[in-house]
Amino acid sequence: MWDPQVVVTGAAQTPFNRRKDGTGPRDWAMLAFADAVAMAGVETDQIEALYLASESDFFALQLNPASILASELGLTGAAVVRCESGGCSGQSAVQMATLAIQSGLISHAAVIGLDASASGLPGDKIRSLYGFSFDNWTDGMTGLTATALYALSWQHFSAEQGLGPRHLAHVTQQNRTNACSNPDAHLPRKDDADAIDASPLVASPYRRLHCSPLSDGAAALILSHAKAAPRKTAPQVVGIGAATDHMHLGARSEPGSFAAKQRAMKRACDAAGIHPQAIGAAEVYDAYAGAQLQAVAALGLSEQVDQDLSSGAFAPDGRCPINLSGGLMGQGAPAGAIGVAQVATAARLLEGRYHGALQPSVPPEYALADTHGGVCTTAAVTILRRSGGL
Amino acid sequence: MTTVHLPLEYDLKAGWLSPFVEGLTQGRAVARVCAACGRVSFPPLRTCTCGSAEGEWVILSGRATVITRTSGLDGDFALAQFDGADGLTTVALQSTATVAQSPLVLQASDPPRLVLGLEDTA
Ligand SMILES: [Zn+2]
Repeated sequence: MWDPQVVVTGAAQTPFNRRKDGTGPRDWAMLAFADAVAMAGVETDQIEALYLASESDFFALQLNPASILASELGLTGAAVVRCESGGCSGQSAVQMATLAIQSGLISHAAVIGLDASASGLPGDKIRSLYGFSFDNWTDGMTGLTATALYALSWQHFSAEQGLGPRHLAHVTQQNRTNACSNPDAHLPRKDDADAIDASPLVASPYRRLHCSPLSDGAAALILSHAKAAPRKTAPQVVGIGAATDHMHLGARSEPGSFAAKQRAMKRACDAAGIHPQAIGAAEVYDAYAGAQLQAVAALGLSEQVDQDLSSGAFAPDGRCPINLSGGLMGQGAPAGAIGVAQVATAARLLEGRYHGALQPSVPPEYALADTHGGVCTTAAVTILRRSGGL
Repeated sequence: MTTVHLPLEYDLKAGWLSPFVEGLTQGRAVARVCAACGRVSFPPLRTCTCGSAEGEWVILSGRATVITRTSGLDGDFALAQFDGADGLTTVALQSTATVAQSPLVLQASDPPRLVLGLEDTA
């Protein structure tokens, strides 16, 4: 266990969708940042560092975006760094900021995640770029897509666990139904199992409706040292953990298991001094419907994935609601913003500040944000605890 | 809206992986055998899963069996077991390739891609 010193004083995001309003990533960053600063009750000149998460320079044709945003946001003079670990970038930025504040060297840091994953380039170009997220000399050159790699991994997992299309449909429907109560969500939809089955086959067994969308958007946090926090009800960061797995799916002893996530969760739980069963809400990295179930198993949130899914353990009124936001599948997936938004959602849930229809009447004690890059090649999880001041 | 065209033409160097990459262009499966534990990796691992970075190149037959397969709009891909390799390999499947006709064999490909197809019996 460590002695947690970091609290989430500000948490905000823009809507995730495909922007058609002429705005760009700098506008989204400004909106999310301004809301987070207002919630935190700090002045901009108190923010000593900016941790920016953005997966790719190609999406918005902007190298070195952290320095640019520092000027845009009025943070000139602050220390800035850009954090990148593929789909995990946002959570990596949260963890770097946490470590900086935990060290006692700074009191307030801004974490901003953003990407123009939808409107900057055509979808096929974005998907081609994502193909180079994997070893470019093997999977990249070969033309393997993220969907194909996830589909292969899922086939191994589902065969071991006895899962199939029914379970993929359940996750798809639950996440997108949750998204219907989230005004910031990209895909608030209610597709029945037939509609899911009728959507185009991308990489068997994954159909288009089993996939998360490419989205635009930004999310922002203000993290503060507990001694400097202006708000006493801000949730604490009680555990962080990160780990990697082998970059080649075929080199893993179990291609269906998210071993990096399991390791990251163990490290976060050890830091927090809790077991996974203590988690009362989780934002989980559901790049694909099956990936959510692989994550749930790796995180130790369920011993019996099939049974817990069927009995509603992960539904909004269940033992551990998963992806109340809608997750990547429902809320959307602007790469760099994902991990930041997951932590923002967890923090707002713990403070009772989330969207009314999705907010549990009694906030849980612990909430989890789970993010990864690659086919869970890089994993990072963060555990937040409700403030004793609530 | 402002449209920017940025054609990019990369000249990538394979470095230590050159024997593997050149092998793909000729349809030869060049793998790495670990000097410490004997594990044969394909694609080759610079640092073996046992932690050793010492190894030698070895040429496999190129024959492989499909273990799991995915098909759809993105193409046909598989996790395959190459004869003589430890662990699996992610590959593309030629459109003519079918699992029923396994074992399949590594195809020559330029640019260098891991592609399995039917054995040329001619
Ligand atoms: Zn070895």
